[in-house]
Amino acid sequence: MHKEEIKGRGSQYDGPALENDGLAAENNGPALEKDSLAPENNGPALEKDGLDPELMEIPQEKFRLVNLDMDESDEKFKGKPIGFLKDAFLRFSRNKVSMAALAGVLLVVFMAFAGPLMTPYGYNDQNPEEANLPPKMPGLEKLGILDGSRWLTSCRKDSLDEFPEGSILEIGTDVEKIRGVEVVSVKVDYYKYTGVEEDTYHYFGTDYLGRDLWTRLWRGTRISLLIGFLSAAANCVIGVLFGSIAGYYGGKVDMVMMRICEVINAIPQIVLVTLFILYFGSGLVSIVCALLVQNWVATATLIRSQFYRYKGREYVLAARSLGVSDRKLIFVHILPNAVGPVITRVMTAIPSAIFTESFLAFLGLGIKPPETSIGMLLADGQKVILTYPTQVLFPAIIISVLMVCFNLMSNGLRDAFDPTLRGA
Amino acid sequence: MAKYILKRIAGIFIVLFVVMTAAFFMMRLMPGGILDGVEENLSADMRDLIYAKYDMDKPIWEQYLLFLKGIVTEWDWGVSLKLYVNVSVWDILAERIPITLYLGFLSLLISVPIGIAFGTLAALKKNGIVDHAVSFLVVLFISIPSFVMATGLQYFVAYKWGWFPLIYDDSLPRITTTFLPVLALSFTPIATITRYLRAELSESLNSDYMLLARTKGLTRVQATLRHALRNSLVPVVNVIVPAFISIMGGSLVVESIFGIPGLGGITVRSINVADYSVTLASLIYYTLISLAAILLVDISYGLIDPRIRMGGRKDA
Repeated sequence: MHKEEIKGRGSQYDGPALENDGLAAENNGPALEKDSLAPENNGPALEKDGLDPELMEIPQEKFRLVNLDMDESDEKFKGKPIGFLKDAFLRFSRNKVSMAALAGVLLVVFMAFAGPLMTPYGYNDQNPEEANLPPKMPGLEKLGILDGSRWLTSCRKDSLDEFPEGSILEIGTDVEKIRGVEVVSVKVDYYKYTGVEEDTYHYFGTDYLGRDLWTRLWRGTRISLLIGFLSAAANCVIGVLFGSIAGYYGGKVDMVMMRICEVINAIPQIVLVTLFILYFGSGLVSIVCALLVQNWVATATLIRSQFYRYKGREYVLAARSLGVSDRKLIFVHILPNAVGPVITRVMTAIPSAIFTESFLAFLGLGIKPPETSIGMLLADGQKVILTYPTQVLFPAIIISVLMVCFNLMSNGLRDAFDPTLRGA
Repeated sequence: MAKYILKRIAGIFIVLFVVMTAAFFMMRLMPGGILDGVEENLSADMRDLIYAKYDMDKPIWEQYLLFLKGIVTEWDWGVSLKLYVNVSVWDILAERIPITLYLGFLSLLISVPIGIAFGTLAALKKNGIVDHAVSFLVVLFISIPSFVMATGLQYFVAYKWGWFPLIYDDSLPRITTTFLPVLALSFTPIATITRYLRAELSESLNSDYMLLARTKGLTRVQATLRHALRNSLVPVVNVIVPAFISIMGGSLVVESIFGIPGLGGITVRSINVADYSVTLASLIYYTLISLAAILLVDISYGLIDPRIRMGGRKDA
């Protein structure tokens, strides 16, 4: 500080000078104390008395400005800047539950494409001789699960010899006498019992037409996912456009558009869906359309409220005064603020579409056979639940896993985009 | 308030009219008619006679006016054309609506208190082990569709363990025979209410008025019950109606799984055989139910919480 002041740099100089001060102070040791006693001193003249005489005799030319060779520019940021999306992505990837859910979804999506290729059967290959086979999987069969066995009840005890050789695995202890004939339940290797060729494997069994359920289930998953993604994407597009226009223009436009939304929302979904199916007939297109009619309303309301929040901001005003067009204001300046909620919304729309599709399939309003979906398989399996429970078990597991994963993932996304909502 | 309610009721009638008109025209315009399958066996005269009997020889807008006139003047919803030939649609519905409503209301009656209890528990023990367990169950129940639940319950509870009848049985007391369907329908609303209340309540618990309540000497229980919970319950009213509507939707499938002779089964069957007078009436009924539920919430919202400005609820 001392040297600084000698150069006539006053204490008005703060900021980077602070470091210079420190350096100067080290050089001049004893001067420091003196200095701090008289911080207001501005010129060399005042400091003369009391200083080391040797120091006082330094010629003027030996002084030079300290900050000439100091690099006074701001320090460069060490890390890379983290944008909004990247920030959200980081937060999402740090959430273990969301990552597990993402892995689950990806696994199901992968299986939806790879699954049907793993078997030699087509999704519609019928084989009446192999109807209603229990599941049998290589590897797992040695553990006693999915080994193609099934309990047959009420078999005549004296007819057990007529069973195909080696098909009987276990004879039950519940011997009963019905009209003088002893009956018993028998656990058989159903594949041998029905005389199916050796080395036939139906991982999830077969249905009443002998179609391989593994192939059909993954094929159906593909259709269900397709319905989910299609309707989510479409409802996002419609919702964003509608909501943006209503929110941006406000006033009368907004009022009319919101009344339309209210009317659409007031009609129960079942009614809308039924009407569509009645009109177009059941099938992929009418299901997607039916899902579209109502689901975009929630997206539109969401986008509209985002627009209300941001359209009055100064930066929008600035852009407008610079002559930016309405369209550019909507899509470039305001809409990006809503990207988080929109992504979360799309993620919740997918499982709800899958749900609605299976719901319709259950009502017999689903995809047209022989094409199938998870819902169709569930509905078919439900009819034979008491005799062949595995036919409903696997579709039920897949749809539950898919729904849980999608829901967890959208929770994670919501937390990632808006940490203030965490746990809500 | 009265003006507001009248306005809402007028709105309801407009929506109802829109739905009714759309449904009527869609069904009349769709391919296929009441004579599908038997048409070849009928002479042209017979066909014309049948069409004339059901007014189908007239232009479609006239049919619609006749249909409306029938409802308004004589409460005549037409007759079933395929399922129960010539039986009045209103009689068919009147027989089935009570059990569907019974399922819906009973399930709501069960889910609201359970949902509130779980939600409160989770909010009080936030981030504890109880909270995590409840949150896990909530995700599970929200995700798993009610028909999967119903199928599971039917297989395990009814078939394997034999605790409840497998399908609806008229001779048993209603509560036993509808226990499983009601249970299957209740999981989702319980989870919805729990999740919502947990979020609301944990926010209330951290609010300034709770601090004030504790400062003035209320115990934690008193403060929670009198201030936090009461405030958090107001917005919960808002999820109960969608929950009820989704129960009604879910009952369509659950009814058919358990073979309950309710409105769901008849709606589905009428769609599948194209008995459109029955379909039309049940669609109108479903619309009416959900509209009434929405109205109920709008009114109760104003009654429970006078702070809420009625007209601008959506814009808030």
